Amino acid sequence: MSSLDLLGISKSFGATEVLKNIDIHVSEGEFIALVGPSGCGKSTLLRLISGLDEPTSGDVVLGQHVVNDLTPRERNVAMVFQSYALYPHMNVAENIGFNLRISGVPKAEINQRVADTAAILDLTELLTRKPSQLSGGQRQRVAMGRALVRNPSLFLFDEPLSNLDAKLRVQMREEIKRLHAKVRTTSIYVTHDQIEAMTLADRIVILNEGIIQQVGTPKELYTKPANPFVAGFIGSPSMNLLEGKLTQSGDTIQIELDGGVTLPCPQTAPQSASGRVIIGMRPEHLHLGEAAAGAINITGRLDHVEPTGAQNHLKVKFGKNTITATDNTLQDLASNAEVTLSLPTDKLHIFAN
Amino acid sequence: MSDQALSPAPRSAETSHPPLPETHFIRPPKKRGRRLFNSLQPWLFISPFIIIFCLFTLFPLTFSVYLSFQEWNPVTGLSGMNYVGVQNYVEAYDDPWLWKSLYNTFWLAIVSGVPQHLIAVPVAYLLVYAVRSSLRHVLTATMFIPFITSTVAVALIFYSIYSANTGILNQMLLGASKLPLIGALFAWVPDVMPIKWLTKSDLIKPAIAAVVIWKYTGFNIVIYSAGFVTVPQDVYDAAKVDGCNRLQQFWHVALPMIRPFIFFAMTLTIIGNLQLFEEPFILTSGDTGGVGQAGLTTSYYLYLVGWEWLEMGAAAAISWILFLIIAIATSIHFYFNGRKGMEGNR
Repeated sequence: MSSLDLLGISKSFGATEVLKNIDIHVSEGEFIALVGPSGCGKSTLLRLISGLDEPTSGDVVLGQHVVNDLTPRERNVAMVFQSYALYPHMNVAENIGFNLRISGVPKAEINQRVADTAAILDLTELLTRKPSQLSGGQRQRVAMGRALVRNPSLFLFDEPLSNLDAKLRVQMREEIKRLHAKVRTTSIYVTHDQIEAMTLADRIVILNEGIIQQVGTPKELYTKPANPFVAGFIGSPSMNLLEGKLTQSGDTIQIELDGGVTLPCPQTAPQSASGRVIIGMRPEHLHLGEAAAGAINITGRLDHVEPTGAQNHLKVKFGKNTITATDNTLQDLASNAEVTLSLPTDKLHIFAN
Repeated sequence: MSDQALSPAPRSAETSHPPLPETHFIRPPKKRGRRLFNSLQPWLFISPFIIIFCLFTLFPLTFSVYLSFQEWNPVTGLSGMNYVGVQNYVEAYDDPWLWKSLYNTFWLAIVSGVPQHLIAVPVAYLLVYAVRSSLRHVLTATMFIPFITSTVAVALIFYSIYSANTGILNQMLLGASKLPLIGALFAWVPDVMPIKWLTKSDLIKPAIAAVVIWKYTGFNIVIYSAGFVTVPQDVYDAAKVDGCNRLQQFWHVALPMIRPFIFFAMTLTIIGNLQLFEEPFILTSGDTGGVGQAGLTTSYYLYLVGWEWLEMGAAAAISWILFLIIAIATSIHFYFNGRKGMEGNR
């Protein structure tokens, strides 16, 4: 187990710059999630850390050592691939023990360590099976076992759950969390699923177009997003982001949204926010009902309802904007009915545009 | 168990379906001629194949079985056939030339077959993983050219290369013996000149084998390249993370994963090499298999018996013996390699 530092990492493929000056510090035993949309460079960053690719500039520091010129083997990192990348001609035991065999570990020790790993991952009954005879979840566990058996200094996960169905994904997520709590190996987890990142990681790094947007704990990213991209990326359903401008009328500052609707601006508005702004409202903070005193009240017409079982997602039109609100009371509302949504002023996010 | 237990449970009123409403669909009247046409249609579509297959495969096949129990010189016409029972097979068993041709066939099959694969597998691996794709296509196409070149043309070119007095091979060996560094390795060459590649009995087979290797290695390179391309990059990445160097990736990952391709290519080689005809025929000038029949393969001998000596019955018997040998050799290959070879990565 060791810490990881990425110092000024950039990576270009020809004229395309995929990663731009990435700086991250990961402490020993920490679980970090790299999150971002497809093509943002998160898998590339993981390959640079593993040693499968070389950075164009910058340093990868494992523990106290710059490892830019070391092979993946010399870095002692273990990686779980999106496709699992199991060796189809080997059975489960051979897949898990392959790294040890290549490293020249005695056969008796390989057998012991494979058995121990299989027991942790509940694979003991499957050791003689080929990958083609396993389900998606079992293959995923074998891929985990292959990484786990080595006692690596760093675990790298490249979207390991994206090929699983929703139910299995939740189950495997819990298993990964349990495993990390047990082995406490420093882990970097790439995903485009923000729920996975929020539930698993100690800290989340949000990437977009090769640039770090924000680094923080799941709570920090949720409550204090640094910019509209982070605000829109974290949270489900996504935060409502509306464009407008700050206007002053006497002593009061107001937010004039594009489309003509005006909202009061809370005292908490950042000093830097002036002129054109983007305001953010999380759907779960918009409460359906009567206008509340001291809150921002929005009146609009219900466009349609998306029931999800536990809650309804209300699509409400006001002015030229459509926003989403969640309704946990599961009220029966007629389409085109007039609804009032209230938002506590401290829940309004304002970003400079 | 009682009969009652076995009988189905009675349908309750809840589980039975309500009666379907009466419907009045309009059905066109069935036409008998159309039904007949529909049933014949598939046969009409495959009839060209069936006719050609019966005419050019099934008939010659069964006729050759019939022929192998006859004594027949085709010059005498069909009326000249004499039934001789299994005499053709007995004579073939006692025929020293047939045994010699079988020995030559197996010798050439192994000596020209094994190197094709030993060369083709690593070359294909290097082409796929170490060469840019545009260059790889050019190189693969170049290596494939010998396979699509007429065997007669190839054999004639090698005939001139192997020429004892003017052939380029002997000239190159002489030249090599005069080179400063490697000359010592070829110091024996001037003493044995001129080397008669095609007229010395112990050199004919290696000379033929070299031509076969040259001609068919490119074909195997194409097959193995196709195999290596199917190995996902992720698996190589996993092997790198597992600590494999390039050689270990080849040995532990790539090679086992192209097993079905190896099995396929080896099957083709076994069948093809046991039927070797054109190369030895042209390189030994279509004679009786060269000096001491050193280049006489079974197919070649079959040709001599049938078309030079006009003993069609004996030739048919030999052809069935050769078929049996190829079937046995292929079965042995399937027995030892078939399970893993055909299983692939499923």
